[in-house]
Amino acid sequence: MIGVLAFYAFAVVLIVSSLLVITARNPVHSVLFLILAFFNAAGLFVLLGAEFVAMILVIVYVGAVAVLFLFVVMMLDIDFSKLRNGAKQFAPLGGFVGLALLAELIMLYQVWPNPPPLLEPDVLDVDNTKALGNVLYTQYVFPFQVSGLILLVAMIGAIVLTLRTRGGVLRQRVGAQVERSEADSVEIQNVSVGTGVSNV
Amino acid sequence: MDGFSWIVLSPIKQEIFLSLVGMLLLLVGAFRGKTSVGFIVTAVVVAACGAIAGILSGDWTPIDTLSGMLIVDGFSEWMKVLILSGIVVSLLLSVSWLRENNLLKFEYPILVLFSGVGMLFMVSANNLLSLYVSLELSSLCLYVLAAINRDHLLSSEAGLKYFILGALSSGLLLFGISLVYGYSGTLSYVGISSFLETAESMPYGIMVGMIFMLAGLAFKISAVPFHMWTPDVYHGAPTPVTALFAIVPKVAAFGLIIRLLVGPFAMLAQESAQIIMVISVGSMLVGAFAGLVQNNIKRLLAYSSIANMGYAMLGLLPNVPEGIAGTIIYLTIYMVMVAGVFGILMSLKRNGQSIETISDFAGLSKTSPFMAYAMTALLFSMSGIPPMAGFFGKFFVFQAAIAGGYMVVAVIGVLTSVVAAYYYLRLIKVMFFDESAGNVDENTSLSRHFVTVGALVFVLIFTLLPNHLLQRAIEAATSLFS
Amino acid sequence: MILGYIAVFAPLVAFLLAGILGRKCGDKFSQFVTCTAVLMAAAASVQLFFTVILGSNPHTLPVMTWISSGNFNVDWALRVDQLSVIMMCVINIVSSCVHIYSIGYMSHDESKSRFMAYLSLFTFAMLMLVSADNILQLFFGWEGVGLASYLLIGFWYHKDSATAASIKAFVVNRVGDLGLLLGIFTTFIVFGTIQFDGIFNAVTDHTADRFDFFGYQIHALTLICVLLFVGAVGKSAQLGLHTWLPDAMEGPTPVSALIHAATMVTAGVFLVSRFSPVFEYAPDALMIVCVFGAFTAFVAATIGMTQFDIKRVIAYSTMSQLGYMFFALGVSAYSAAMFHLVTHAFFKALLFLGAGSVIHAMSDEQDMRKMGGIWKKIPVTYAMMWIGSLALAGVPFFAGYYSKDLILESDWASDSPVGHFAYYMGIAAALMTAFYSWRLIIMTFHGKPRADHHTMDHVHESPLVMIVPLLVLAVGAIFSGSVLYGGFAGIPHQKTVESKATEIDEIESEMKEATQDQMEHIIKSESADAIHETVWNKEAFFGKSIVVLPEHDSVAKAHHVEKWVKLLPTIVGAVGIFLAYLAYMFIPSIPAAMVRIFKPLHILFFRKWFFDELYHIVFVKTAAALGTFLWKRGDGQVIDGLGPNGVAALSQKVSTVLSKFQTGFVFQYAFMMMIGLMVLVTWVAHAMGLFDLIPQFLNMR
Repeated sequence: MIGVLAFYAFAVVLIVSSLLVITARNPVHSVLFLILAFFNAAGLFVLLGAEFVAMILVIVYVGAVAVLFLFVVMMLDIDFSKLRNGAKQFAPLGGFVGLALLAELIMLYQVWPNPPPLLEPDVLDVDNTKALGNVLYTQYVFPFQVSGLILLVAMIGAIVLTLRTRGGVLRQRVGAQVERSEADSVEIQNVSVGTGVSNV
Repeated sequence: MDGFSWIVLSPIKQEIFLSLVGMLLLLVGAFRGKTSVGFIVTAVVVAACGAIAGILSGDWTPIDTLSGMLIVDGFSEWMKVLILSGIVVSLLLSVSWLRENNLLKFEYPILVLFSGVGMLFMVSANNLLSLYVSLELSSLCLYVLAAINRDHLLSSEAGLKYFILGALSSGLLLFGISLVYGYSGTLSYVGISSFLETAESMPYGIMVGMIFMLAGLAFKISAVPFHMWTPDVYHGAPTPVTALFAIVPKVAAFGLIIRLLVGPFAMLAQESAQIIMVISVGSMLVGAFAGLVQNNIKRLLAYSSIANMGYAMLGLLPNVPEGIAGTIIYLTIYMVMVAGVFGILMSLKRNGQSIETISDFAGLSKTSPFMAYAMTALLFSMSGIPPMAGFFGKFFVFQAAIAGGYMVVAVIGVLTSVVAAYYYLRLIKVMFFDESAGNVDENTSLSRHFVTVGALVFVLIFTLLPNHLLQRAIEAATSLFS
Repeated sequence: MILGYIAVFAPLVAFLLAGILGRKCGDKFSQFVTCTAVLMAAAASVQLFFTVILGSNPHTLPVMTWISSGNFNVDWALRVDQLSVIMMCVINIVSSCVHIYSIGYMSHDESKSRFMAYLSLFTFAMLMLVSADNILQLFFGWEGVGLASYLLIGFWYHKDSATAASIKAFVVNRVGDLGLLLGIFTTFIVFGTIQFDGIFNAVTDHTADRFDFFGYQIHALTLICVLLFVGAVGKSAQLGLHTWLPDAMEGPTPVSALIHAATMVTAGVFLVSRFSPVFEYAPDALMIVCVFGAFTAFVAATIGMTQFDIKRVIAYSTMSQLGYMFFALGVSAYSAAMFHLVTHAFFKALLFLGAGSVIHAMSDEQDMRKMGGIWKKIPVTYAMMWIGSLALAGVPFFAGYYSKDLILESDWASDSPVGHFAYYMGIAAALMTAFYSWRLIIMTFHGKPRADHHTMDHVHESPLVMIVPLLVLAVGAIFSGSVLYGGFAGIPHQKTVESKATEIDEIESEMKEATQDQMEHIIKSESADAIHETVWNKEAFFGKSIVVLPEHDSVAKAHHVEKWVKLLPTIVGAVGIFLAYLAYMFIPSIPAAMVRIFKPLHILFFRKWFFDELYHIVFVKTAAALGTFLWKRGDGQVIDGLGPNGVAALSQKVSTVLSKFQTGFVFQYAFMMMIGLMVLVTWVAHAMGLFDLIPQFLNMR
């Protein structure tokens, strides 16, 4: 009973905050609502007994992604209301399309009476993390490894598109320092008295 | 659970090899910087050629591996050879162009290689999860490549547009996958198809899931109405990247779609045919008509590719091996023709600028006759005039569509190909009959000439070997149905 | 065996050599190559005459596979049987004469190589036609000779009249060709093959076949024969499609001799003879052939009497003689027709080449009103023209006498109304033939010179290279009739004259009961009695290449006709010659008086029965008007307006609208994607009947 109540609470807050993400006037508010939505989603995961995924969601999305968004939004001076103006003229049509799709999906749900029951893991028996670990490197090793490649590519992409080598930057070159030999750096001159060093 | 013995990995040894090469070359590039670009390009080309050789010499009895995540069979063999050849060709085409335009970074060949690896996985995917990750791997590389000329406004705009819309399409795809998973309880192709076979009533949930998935994939092959990105991206991206876009990813996405339609969703053939029909007719119409008023050659080629994807989809309608064979032959021929056209396009310069608009071609027959005649042959082929290769491609898919009873669609196809012939022929007219607008520099690059001449020869002599190729293609397609 | 190949392909080789290398290697080279090749071919065909006809050895030589498509197989092959060998001999001999003659005749022309190459091409095409083993190959040759004829008529293409004549010849022939093509198609439908052997062997199985054509039941074999005959009418210039032949005289004279007298125009006769096995079972078609032939012979002769152009007179004479051949075919007297074809080829080629020699002598003057009084200056040509005219008029013991008499006798002997009609028409034509022949001789050679001094001074006998071919042809014109009579007519002439009435009755009663086998036996035994060798009778001479049903065999019956029937042609010939002398030599006022008295008739004849005018009004003008209407209104306004131009304009509009969607805004693109998705979902849901389930679902609730 408490579980059901909690589900509806999380779900309602999730939907409302998602709506607010796209309707809020202030972009900072949007991001904050996004964080709220993430938290509620994490709550739903906890209700399902998937506490590992819930924690990951909080740590990665709330802790990293959303905060990054916040920084970007605050640092870039973008006038969102201007952008929205363009979108507003399409709002009626957009609303219609959205509603139509929603109606179709709802209808679908009604017409299909019995989705097959999914496997229900015994939450208490198996450690969540351990269960994931068991399949991650066996059954799902391929998607896992390819995900690794995706991250690699993302990194390459980020570097390619952003890294600029600027001129005039002084850097310590350890190799050059070590390679330096005495002949390169020291010159012995025989200085006669009273004349000083002339060719430095 | 089976361990990682060689038996498990050997079916995908080419992909593993290529990924390792890619990572190794990344290290080389990171340490040696710009000086190593030439070496890296050569290494990628050689590695890809090696992989082609490995694929061709392999044994292609169908086998699934890595817990059923991937499957290799005659069909994947064909598609992989196609993809890798496309990668090699696009690299051969692009190197000197990039160098001339000061865009050659060592990441370029590596990104191309990784996207190739993703595509190879795509055509082998046997599980919705592997489908998604491999698709993302290749797409991510392409997003970056589109924007690789980061200081150029059009290029970065193209990259951003492609990225945003691509993300949307991935969202659609994922939503579809989740619907399918939710209603069938499994992600594996085999599981879905056996679930559908035993389903008691009409599986509407999976059906809608399939529609969403096909919508997401239609974006990748730039089929109407998910085509809007194509002209802008083709236009904005640097020409070699456009060539890559035109040549390779569509083939891979087609491989993915074909495997989906004849594998897990075979029982939904009627429904999927409805979708394919709509987007195919839409693509043919939009591709043919919208191309008429284009003046930029790259935009024109974008619409041409939209139309061509529409034709290629005709072969999928009847869901029989002959139709699939028609489609993959069509794709093969299309790939070769496009490679040839881009080879010519990149060879020509006017006042130090790459040729961009159609009027730049004026009087080409006088200034560089070989290019003009080669282009003419390729354009004739693209408009489907016998005995060029393009005619046979169209012939096979139309034949398949008519045999499957899709007469109206085939007729629309023929009519739109007449409309599309206009813009191909207009280009020929401009090349031969318009007054030259000044000298055209032809910069020669051996590799580019190699590609152009190869494409030309293929287009001209195809008429000698269609039966042999068709036989092989039917064998490949039949392997899907076993 | 190799003889057949040489006889057919030597001219092709010559054509290729002269055509390709002619410019480089010069005119002498072309002349030498073509003449040598055609002479070789002529020698080979004469040799074939001995092996195939006298040695009774018809055979087929394979060349190559041509078409193999489904159950439709056609091979190139040379059918060397008696019929084709006769044709080959005629073609190659006349062609050799014409080739050699052309060296002299065309000596002032600038494109000799081209001319010689065309002549060889024509010869090859004609040989292809006669040696065809199936109708398609025959059609190839048929079109080939049409093409060569077109090229040669228009050889002097700088002359407008020549160009117009060549186009006219081609177009009129197309009408006939259409008939022939339809005939080929019908043959294939009926017999399922276009190989001659296959068709002829299967004829008896199809005698009852009928086509349903808009409710009319049409006898299949009759239809085939009539369609083939339409082709023959075009090529052989029979009444209706004859208008091109007189105009074709615009070509050089050797061309007229070879193509428009001796060979090409007889292709129709050959075609009907070749299809004799089919025509024999289509008596209605034969009747049509007979009537057409009779009218042609008569009408052409009437026109011939009034013309003044020396070549046109001979051209109408050719048309008239072709009419003779056709009305012979119409009474199943195929061998008689072929006989006349052979003799006619010799004497008509002789006449044409003789006329050419006259024209050559008169500095290219063709109008007889401007000739006269030159017989002493060109005695050899004069003699040749006499020989040709004697043969043409059917004066006894010249070639024409035998063949023409045989035809007329056969027609009478056929005992059918059309046969008798044709006989009378033929007699009338014979009278006129003799008349206009001597009219031509007298006007050309006798009387006072009507040409100017300048021309008269230049009148000279032709060089040897032109005279020798004339002599060869003259020999043919004199002797070909008497020598070949046995072969074509079946029974030696002398014997039939002597045969008694009782014998005739006996044979006829026997024939009535006899089956075909016995029939052959009887005739063989009869001819064995004859003085000549066995081959010199019709059946052995033609073997199986011509089929005549016993009850149709009018040639055999021709030997037993009444005496007056036999004598009449000779008598009218003599009368015609006498009248010509009377009118043009002794009392020159007669022609003018006749023209005055029979003015309407003269105008009718002189204006060629108004065929050209009629065709111009009925076909040319209406076609042009219809064409203009369809072009301006139909094509320009309706089709272009709504079709290409309209569609093109619409396409541009659609294109512009579509481009407007390409705004460049990402959110609009994304929006389009969502709309597309919705449309797809709705479309599939609709197609799969998902919406029909809604009420059901609501009720459930």
